[in-house]
Order: sequence, then structure tokens, then C-alpha cells
Amino acid sequence: MSSTTDTRPARRLTVTGLVTAALLLTAVYGVFFGAPEDADQGIIQKIFYFHVAIAMVALLAFLVAAIEGIRYLRERDPRHDEIGSICVGIGLAFSILVVITGSIWAKASWGTWWVWTDPRLVTFVIVLLLYAAYFVLRSSADGERQARYSAIYSVAAFASVPLSFYSVRVARSFVHPVVFNQQGANMPDSMLWWFVVGQIAMIGVFLTILQLELIQRRADRALRRVKARLEAAA
Amino acid sequence: MRPVWSRQLRALLLKDLRLELRTRDTIVAMVLFSVVAMMIFQFAVGSSGDDLTDVAGGILWATLALTAVLGVGRSWVPEREQRVLDGILVAPIPRLVLLVSKVGAIYAYLLVVEIIAVPLAALFFIRHGQAGDLLLVAGVCLLANLGIAVLGSLLACLALFARARELLLPVLFLPSLLPVVIAAAGATHAVAGGTNDLAEYRGYLLFLGVYAVIFGLVAYATYDHVFDD
Repeated sequence: MSSTTDTRPARRLTVTGLVTAALLLTAVYGVFFGAPEDADQGIIQKIFYFHVAIAMVALLAFLVAAIEGIRYLRERDPRHDEIGSICVGIGLAFSILVVITGSIWAKASWGTWWVWTDPRLVTFVIVLLLYAAYFVLRSSADGERQARYSAIYSVAAFASVPLSFYSVRVARSFVHPVVFNQQGANMPDSMLWWFVVGQIAMIGVFLTILQLELIQRRADRALRRVKARLEAAA
Repeated sequence: MRPVWSRQLRALLLKDLRLELRTRDTIVAMVLFSVVAMMIFQFAVGSSGDDLTDVAGGILWATLALTAVLGVGRSWVPEREQRVLDGILVAPIPRLVLLVSKVGAIYAYLLVVEIIAVPLAALFFIRHGQAGDLLLVAGVCLLANLGIAVLGSLLACLALFARARELLLPVLFLPSLLPVVIAAAGATHAVAGGTNDLAEYRGYLLFLGVYAVIFGLVAYATYDHVFDD
């Protein structure tokens, strides 16, 4: 039987979705009621749990896109292109959230919506531009060439992420709080625990959207096939 | 007897340079553009006094980055016109040699522009500069050009067959080029901005080298797939 009747992906999506929802609720509860309030910044510090988790997932999505790009170039399986492009889309959406949450946090703790002296926030704007160009490239080519060029660009763009970060960082003195350094996490255990839960929940969100998007695209293709068959019959 | 690839590289590179010397389309446009861009930046930045020493490095490298877009965009045009590319791809020339020849051509264009634009920027923007600083800035140019040329030649072939090619290239090219602009402007500022901070200069130069190596590796790993149809 054709893949259109395969319900396993849908069931997997249900499981991922439910687990993610439970994790998110736990994380929200833990962040607001479980974790201690920051002595210095107060309630606004709660945004840290989401801001950092979202940023990590955005980078994870771009990493997966680069890996899928390499796999596409090696195997030429359109599935890798599909996953790669979805990951870039998710990464882009999450990057926008990073910039928004970062801007809110900046307003609350530094008194201004935007600081050029913070290398991480500035890097995410560069990353936004980098990966927005990915979709401009995608829309200007078709078929196999579209997949191939997207794959090459996703590798090149991922190479520029650390370079951008480093160059912005050396160009500016920075005011961004450094939470993780070589000595480990710079926060109490009660905060770290809820941070980890939030981080896993965000990865769950990423996986849920990825599965949803894959199922939707497959349904779209199946629908097109049915339509073509109907048109041929008529 | 030199190896085959070096003769192929020489032939391809000379073809590009000879074409450019005959028409002079690209170089003249790039030089004029760079001068106009510097004028625009001078008026846009503004200044209470006449001294732009502090922003000279930034103006120079913003100008050169935008000028590079012109050169990179033109670099594959000879191949596209009259289907020269088909001929080259059919010939037993490794793809890598083709890419390296383009890197060489773009590098040469940039160098010509810089020979005019850098002294001009020094004249326009730097007060109390020293001639020795120009040599240090030349070092920045030699290294920054490498990164620009490698990245540019790779991304330009992605844009080559795309719709709205002229629009696509700057959008693809400039965000990835930003680290070069930051580091090159920083290095230029370190020696010409009145501070003469050689440790900072060396740090930025190292970064430019690392940038060129990383994109060199990316290009090396992916160039084979660019002309795969």
C-alpha cells in the first residue's frame, strides 16, 4: 500500500506533541514557582530560561540543516533537502524569538531596547539575515538545483555563524551576562534544574514542529497525486 | 614541465584577465563606484570637524565590501555569455581549477581597486597619517581579499543560474561577508586610527586568515556539486 495510509508518523507526532506539552507546562510552572527569584534582576530574569533555550534550539536547527545539507550532497535524497529546509525555517522563526526576548530583557535590565555592545544579540540579527537569504535563494531556483544550492548554502551559512559571533565579540566590549563558562554553570542548582527542563521542552517544540511540517508536506504531495489522477480520469 | 593543473589554471586566469584588459568594463566601474561610495559615506557619517580618522577604517571597508559585490557579480559573466561555461565543463579541467581561477580573478580586481581606493581613503580621511601605515593596511587588503574572493566565487556560482541573479547575490554575499568587514575595519583602525595597536592588528589579521581558511574548506567540500547538471 502507498505511504499515504501510513499512520505511524501521525502517531509519533501525537506522542512527541503530548510529551512536549507536558514538559513545557512543567517548565513554565517550575520557572515561575519552583526556581528562586534572581536577587539582582527580580522577575524579569525568568525570561532567561526561555531566551537561552530558544537560542540553543535555533542553533541546533541550523546545525541539523547543515548536516542534512551535507547528507543531501552525498546521497541526493530529496528527503534530506526537505528536512533541511524545514529546519532552516524553524531556526529562523526561533531566531526572531531570540531577538525579541533578548530585546525585552535588554530593556528591563539595561534600560534600552537595543544594545550594539552585546555580541550574542547582534550575532542573532546577522544569523537572521544569513538564513533569510537561504529562502531568497530557494525561491530563485527550481527542482534538483534548488535542493543542491540550498544544501551548499546551508553549509556555508552555518560556517559563518561562529565567525560572525567571534568577530562581533572582539569588535565590541560586552555587557551580556556570561552564564556558562569553563567553571561550569554560573547559577544555583535550583535554577539549573529548571533551565534544563525548559531546554528539553524547547527541543521538544522543535521536534514537534519538524514532524508536523513533514507530515503536512507529505499530505500535500499525496493530495497533488490524487488531484492529478482525478484530472487524468476526467 | 609544469603540472597540468597549473597550466589549466594559468590559461583560465589569463582568459579572465585578458578579457578584462580588453574591455575594462568591470575594473573601471568598480573604481568609480568605490570613490562615489566613499563620498556618500563621508556625507552620511558627517562630522563636526574635518577629521574622520576615527571612522576611516570603517568607511574604507564598507566601501570595499560593496565594491566587491560588483566585481563578484561580474566575475562569472564571461562564462555565462555565449555558453563558455559548457565548453569549460566539457573540457577535462577539474572543477576546483575553475573555482580557483575565479578566486584569482576576483582577487586581482579587488587589488586594483584597493591600489586606488586605499591611498584615496588615507588622503580623504586620515589626518597626520604615516606612510608606513599604508604598508600595514596593504597587509590587511592582501588577507581580506582572499576571504572575499573565496566566498564570492562560491556564492556567485550559486546565483549564476538563478532568477533575479543581480538581486540575489548581495543578499547571499553580504551577511557572510560581515565578519571580514568587521575584522578588516578593526585592523585598519588599529594601525591608522591614531592608536597604533599592533597586538590588536595581528589578532584581526589572524581572524581574516582563519576566515579565508574556513571558507576555503567549505568551497573545497562543496564546489564539485555546484556544476552538477
